[in-house]
Amino acid sequence: MTVVLDAVSKSFGSVKVLHELSLEVQDGEFLVLLGASGSGKSTALRMIAGLETVSEGRISISGQDVTDALPKNRDVAMVFQSYALYPHKTVAENIGYPLKIRRMNRAEIESQVREVAAQVRIDELLERYPRELSGGQRQRVALARAMVRRPSVFLMDEPLSNLDAKLRGHMRAELKHMQHELGITTIYVTHDQVEAMTLAHRVALLEGGRLQQLAAPKTIYEDPENLFVAQFIGSPPMNVAHGRLDAGTFVIGKDRVVTGGTETVANAVIGLRAEDCQVVPPEDGAIRAQLFANELIGDHTLVTAKVGDDMVSIKAPKEFEAGFDEAIGIAFATDKLYLFDKDTGARIRRT
Amino acid sequence: MRPGTPRAAPSIGARERLSDWIDRHSAQVFIWPAVIMILVFSIFPLVASLIMALSRIRFRGGTYNVRFVWFQNFEKQLFGSEQFHFLGTFNGLGLLGWAVGLAVTLLIAWLAISYLRGPVTAVGLVGRLFTWGLSLGLGWLFAATLFSGHPFGTLGTTLFYVFVGCGLQFVIGLALAFLCSLPIRGRTFFRVVFFIPLMITPIGVGYAFRMMADTTKGPFSPVWQWAGLGDFAWAADAWAARFFIVIGDSWQWIPFIFVVMLAALESVPRDYVEAAQVDGATSWEIFKDITWPQVVPVAATVLLIRVIEAFKIVDLPNIMTAGGPGIATESMTLHALFAWRSLDLGQSAAVAYLLLFVTVVTCVSFFNLVVLRRVRA
Amino acid sequence: MNRSAMQWLFEPPSIRDMAPGTKVIVYAILTFWTAFVLFPIYWVLITSFKSAIDVNSGPVYLPFVDFQPSLHAWKELFVFDFWDTLSAYVNSLIIALSATAASVIIGSMASYALARFEYQPRFGVVFMFVLVMVGAFVAVGRYGVDWRLSCAAGVAVFYFLARALGRHFKARLGNGDILFWMISQRILAPIVVVVPIYMMFQQVSLLDTHIAIILTYTVINLPIVIWLMYDFFTSIPIDLEECAQLDGATRFGVFWDIVLPLSRSGLAATTLLVMILSWNEYLLALFLSTSRAQTMPILVAAMNAGERGILWWSMSVVIIVMIIPVVILAIILQRYISKGLLLGAVKG
Ligand SMILES: Nc1ncnc2c1ncn2[C@@H]1O[C@H](COP(=O)(O)OP(=O)(O)OP(=O)(O)O)[C@@H](O)[C@H]1O
Ligand SMILES: [Mg+2]
Repeated sequence: MTVVLDAVSKSFGSVKVLHELSLEVQDGEFLVLLGASGSGKSTALRMIAGLETVSEGRISISGQDVTDALPKNRDVAMVFQSYALYPHKTVAENIGYPLKIRRMNRAEIESQVREVAAQVRIDELLERYPRELSGGQRQRVALARAMVRRPSVFLMDEPLSNLDAKLRGHMRAELKHMQHELGITTIYVTHDQVEAMTLAHRVALLEGGRLQQLAAPKTIYEDPENLFVAQFIGSPPMNVAHGRLDAGTFVIGKDRVVTGGTETVANAVIGLRAEDCQVVPPEDGAIRAQLFANELIGDHTLVTAKVGDDMVSIKAPKEFEAGFDEAIGIAFATDKLYLFDKDTGARIRRT
Repeated sequence: MRPGTPRAAPSIGARERLSDWIDRHSAQVFIWPAVIMILVFSIFPLVASLIMALSRIRFRGGTYNVRFVWFQNFEKQLFGSEQFHFLGTFNGLGLLGWAVGLAVTLLIAWLAISYLRGPVTAVGLVGRLFTWGLSLGLGWLFAATLFSGHPFGTLGTTLFYVFVGCGLQFVIGLALAFLCSLPIRGRTFFRVVFFIPLMITPIGVGYAFRMMADTTKGPFSPVWQWAGLGDFAWAADAWAARFFIVIGDSWQWIPFIFVVMLAALESVPRDYVEAAQVDGATSWEIFKDITWPQVVPVAATVLLIRVIEAFKIVDLPNIMTAGGPGIATESMTLHALFAWRSLDLGQSAAVAYLLLFVTVVTCVSFFNLVVLRRVRA
Repeated sequence: MNRSAMQWLFEPPSIRDMAPGTKVIVYAILTFWTAFVLFPIYWVLITSFKSAIDVNSGPVYLPFVDFQPSLHAWKELFVFDFWDTLSAYVNSLIIALSATAASVIIGSMASYALARFEYQPRFGVVFMFVLVMVGAFVAVGRYGVDWRLSCAAGVAVFYFLARALGRHFKARLGNGDILFWMISQRILAPIVVVVPIYMMFQQVSLLDTHIAIILTYTVINLPIVIWLMYDFFTSIPIDLEECAQLDGATRFGVFWDIVLPLSRSGLAATTLLVMILSWNEYLLALFLSTSRAQTMPILVAAMNAGERGILWWSMSVVIIVMIIPVVILAIILQRYISKGLLLGAVKG
């Protein structure tokens, strides 16, 4: 089912934490709300769930305006970061609770509970209490409880963040598979970009309560709308160096980089991903830099170097070796570089 | 939702709408029953009672007539010929009376000066002025009655029950709770047994202690005979009677403090205690330095609850001594009850209001001086 | 040698154990207190089996040894006066159970509401309400206006004043103020309010009925319930409640299915305390019941039968049988309370 947010804003008292957020989530889509802590992701999700009132704008689910509807009438299910399993109910009762409320008869509840429990592979645990489960098992119970009533929308608020790293990776894969199989529209909140990139059909990146970009993971990585998105996505973050853009030539210290465009911008930023750069002898590079540190990380070496006042990271082959403060050159293909206006953060697209 | 038959659908819709309406207004739905009940059965009578306290009410042939007399009822209680009833009898101060009165005055002056030296806030000053003024009045009241050899009134008796009774109950209850929190056998047994008195009706406790205290037919009469007190009528001796009532009250209420404090003591995390044990502290040191600071908030609250309830004491003095000898054991509630029995509703309400005033002042002072100081510290 | 004996007596042998000397002292104190607690109860119990002679001719202590127990007092109450006893017992049960249930439910609801919803009544409106109420009182008391008329007029005046002027008041009260207001009602001694309550029930002809006593007991116990339950409710993770709402529960459903079960230890302790208070209450019952609605404490007092002196034996029987329901309830609830009686409640 589709979910549409139309210029939704939220204020707590006089503090506005969400600014005219507009989103359109397609039927069956897996949309990830990504953003740093405090960027308003949870607030947006809770407004869709109906747990938070909407200050301005409209929200509709499956074409129906639900802006003022009660949570229970929205037909959405939510998985909480804390899992929110009812401690006084067994696993079976937890999963069956949404059905019980809908006055389904006992036998039917039981069979449906068994069915979803089998789907998430917790059928052995039905008689246990939440306190007797491990983190991963609790996670599955929470999922099962959300799945059991086949809601039109799944909402998940950092559901994996309480798991250890290994289990998180595993659950991520399972979640993705499950969503694909059920085909239920899912809105998923996380601050972890790896989760966002691997899970999402589309990622909505929030910062300071404003939508920065809404696009497929590949697009958001390769074609960021602005400096913030560029720097938020990717590990290590995109390298930036400050300078000025002079009729299509980026001037940084004594180096001049021909970008292929024609713009002139006084305060400009050049962006490059670590894997798009190579370390070369100083005289061969487009930009000269000073080596700051290098770290061997398994299959490659991460070289950190100083360009003017900026630090940049470069992925070099694992054989790379150099001493501290040695001068190096950085080479890259012109079509791999990104340009931004420092003052507005906007991307400067080469014309 | 599931599609219903066309005929049933509208009614389901209506019910849904009603339940949704209630859900939207649940903030109101949840709180109004309590608010209405309190307004009707607590605030309304409170105002009515105030009006009664300011009136003279006479019964005449089935109906009553009400005459507004402003503060006459209070005046009568405080300064009138019946003053011995509420405040006690004033017949000049004795030597001890002067001494105590001056001591109290000096103490309060010292408190005032040491407070005024520090930072002073308007609210704090007004509140303290109030408390000091009342303590001063109380101090001189006791100086003029108790310490000058004259009987004190129902105010003094009530305060005696509250402070001596609650103090005793708190200390013993806490001590028992501490002992029961030690690693000994039979804790469950003691816990259950010590709880029992709370379950018995206060009026039953009154009669039971009347039997206990009987020097001729009670269980301890051989002891009394042996001590040569066989014909000692404790109910005729003011202090003996007061103490018997305090004992009865304590027998009933120590369990309350015991149970709450035991739960508090047991909920102190074991780690702290074990760390101290490893450091070689004795049980007493552990209690003093580790456990006690952790249970102070509970202790303050339970004491506050107990003080509030203690001001309402009526059943025990009513049953055990009927307020006698004279008015020596008459609590303020009993005082008001007697006034009501003699159909003097105005006086009854006035005494009740004085009780309310005393209770509020005591509890607010307690709360400010004990609970809030703890919170700030 | 002396020193080592002392050491043996009072130095704990191990960290989990107490020294023998300490142990003896502790047990001595606890045993003494057990005796102090149990002896009056024992005395009441044997008195219920004594005949008048046994009671009046000095103390006898042991049944079958000192005196021949007789069932006459029990017979008198449960055979000859069976219907009176039964009626008092049933009255007491109905009143105490209903009042307990009502105050626990209404009180928990209010307490939960204060823990979870935000209230901001305008100070001016509250003040206006008080003024209107005092006005209505003066009209009734001073000028003899009919109370029904006065009530209706008061409500109407207040309603229109609040609608018309309410918006202009800026100062607001908060949840804390409401909580304090409700809890502080416990400070009211029953004697302050009982006479007006008496008159109120007289006006609506409900004196000497169950409903009057139930309502009164419910209200005097509300503050306790609100006070004790508040901390339990605030400590429940809000996620659980929100999740239940999304699962489709109404607010009341959340309260009933999630909140109450999760605070059941506090609920059990509160229920027990309220039950004890309303089962044993005497003063209010004395005012509000004359014959049909008489409760057990009144029956106890009735054994002080004027010209015949006090019927100690019958009174003892009543006191003994009065303990039974409380004990049963305590046993039922014990399971939930055992760990934290009244705790959390009074964490302060
Ligand atoms: N009930 C509230 N009252 C006032 N401010 C709030 C409230 N809830 C959230 N906020 C504020 O709104 C902003 C967004 O909060 P939100 O919880 O949506 O962030 P988030 O993106 O989910 O962060 P995190 O990743 O830490 O969960 C924060 O600045 C927060 O302080
Ligand atoms: Mg969040």
